[in-house]
Amino acid sequence: MSKQFQAIVVGAGPAGSSAALAMARAGLDVALVERGTFPGEKNMFGGLLHRMTSIEEIFPDFWTKAPLERHIAKKGTTFMTGDASFHVQHETVNFDHTPYNGYTVFRPRFDRWLAEEAVKAGATLINRSTVEDVILKDGRVTGVTIAGRKGELKAPVVIAADGVLSFTALKAGLRQPKFSADQMAVGVKALFDMSREMIDDRFGLVRDQGFANEYVGCTGGVRGGGFLYTNYDTVSVGIVVHISSLRNSGKTPYDLLNAFLEQPQFAKLLSGGRLAEYSAHVIPEGGYTMIPELFGNGILVAGDAAALCNATGVNLEGINLASHSGILAAKTVIEAHERNDFSSKTLKRYKERLDLSWVMKDLKGFKNAPKMLHIDRIYNEYPELVCSMMEHIYRIDGTPKTSIPKLIMREVQQKIGLKNAVSDLMTAWRAL
Amino acid sequence: MNIDEIFDFTSFTIDREPHIVLKPEVCSGCDVRGCVNCCPARCYTWSEAEQKMTFVHDGCLECGTCYVVCQRNAFSRWQYPRGGFGVAYRMT
Ligand SMILES: Cc1cc2nc3c(=O)[nH]c(=O)nc-3n(C[C@H](O)[C@H](O)[C@H](O)COP(=O)(O)OP(=O)(O)OC[C@H]3O[C@@H](n4cnc5c(N)ncnc54)[C@H](O)[C@@H]3O)c2cc1C
Ligand code: SF4
Ligand code: SF4
Repeated sequence: MSKQFQAIVVGAGPAGSSAALAMARAGLDVALVERGTFPGEKNMFGGLLHRMTSIEEIFPDFWTKAPLERHIAKKGTTFMTGDASFHVQHETVNFDHTPYNGYTVFRPRFDRWLAEEAVKAGATLINRSTVEDVILKDGRVTGVTIAGRKGELKAPVVIAADGVLSFTALKAGLRQPKFSADQMAVGVKALFDMSREMIDDRFGLVRDQGFANEYVGCTGGVRGGGFLYTNYDTVSVGIVVHISSLRNSGKTPYDLLNAFLEQPQFAKLLSGGRLAEYSAHVIPEGGYTMIPELFGNGILVAGDAAALCNATGVNLEGINLASHSGILAAKTVIEAHERNDFSSKTLKRYKERLDLSWVMKDLKGFKNAPKMLHIDRIYNEYPELVCSMMEHIYRIDGTPKTSIPKLIMREVQQKIGLKNAVSDLMTAWRAL
Repeated sequence: MNIDEIFDFTSFTIDREPHIVLKPEVCSGCDVRGCVNCCPARCYTWSEAEQKMTFVHDGCLECGTCYVVCQRNAFSRWQYPRGGFGVAYRMT
């Protein structure tokens, strides 16, 4: 038995549900297929939902509707060694009122909400269904099959929004069969229960304010970084490491996470907290250069499936790009229905739309950021340099002080080497 | 923290059928074995004595790391669990 729809979306993550929502609102009969028992059950991330301008267009009062945790009013960066840390922080009242700049969220709640909004608009959500293959007819995609089930779901167009490994894009011949470990990172995260009052007091927060902090130097020399984000009554902490660098180090992600949690200045922040959940997931960090074919006959690729993730080193932006690309894919499918043409001739409009949008402009603009993130000294030597310089500046021990420019020169020479420092600066400049 | 405890804080609905299956001869001939140290759920164990790889799918977080790190195509199957099975996050 086969069921016919006007469009099929594979994966009810932010990309897929945004696409389904936009198509359903335009009156299309859409199937949204998800392998979890509900959307979001399989999904984890660090925890920062950056401002969702594309969803605000649909729900202008997004922040009153969506199941959000705290809004981010305060952001920090900490350079860390095994026994020292140096912290910088930014806070502004401008991020403390609507439209907020970002929020912490839980994926099992947020993804489920967005998918349910698509259902309210008329989409058919099919849970517990892992798409196994695409149906190809005369070189065009005309539907999908579900693992362990008979029958097919048919539609003139399929949107692959099935996340970073996108087997749907692979089966349709749009992504390369092999990923490079250089372009992928893995994140592991631990969630800690902590009372709301404790979080407010410890991180200096009032009302629904939230704090987001990134860490450099906390990954045992492996390329990557750490994070801490406050939810209402839990704290998300974790590390993101590049897979090739992790492989070469021989270290394990959970041992690195454990060492981070035990760093004395960090451990203080979590004391009294109780471990609640552990999770892990891969991130497409290669940026612009790893984007697969975005369209084919009867198929479009959106979100992580299309590697639309922006890891600039300052922010990790994924959900906002996923959602926006899903909506642009939806617009293209709506247009294809108007023209009754689902060939790549019409569907290539998706790529044109993306190219004109902030999504591609950002990815292009930060095309070299992954190169900077491959400077291994960032993860060890530079945090050490910063921390030891600050220690020299603050220390009072009855010896004459070194002038600050002299101190910088001496420390850079000792810890990095002048030539390396100049070359790293150049790489960083070009990247940002 | 006792790191061994961390793995008990994730929920699963375990399928009898493994969703990942290895070709043992490929792993025996592999000199990298990035899967062993990179897997966040300790699913891969290499026995030096037996020269043999053991894979247990039960605690798999479906993160995708082994799929990316293995450069030898050691999988006779690598797919997500059937609908409704596998890892079930409550919050994250
Ligand atoms: C550790 C970590 C930290 C991150 N931190 C941030 C952050 O702070 N801020 C941010 O914006 N982004 C962050 N990201 C990135 C962000 O999570 C992703 O970019 C985003 O989730 C991509 O959305 P998506 O809808 O494209 O894919 P996903 O969220 O992966 O959704 C894909 C969906 O498809 C389903 N699916 C997969 N295969 C099938 C199949 N065969 N059949 C049916 N269903 C299927 C999955 O179950 C899932 O629901 C982080 C990622 C990680 C791993
Ligand atoms: S799974 Fe791949 S990386 Fe791991 S041992 Fe086997 S061949 Fe090597
Ligand atoms: S998908 Fe992730 S958790 Fe599962 S076996 Fe592979 S590396 Fe381990």
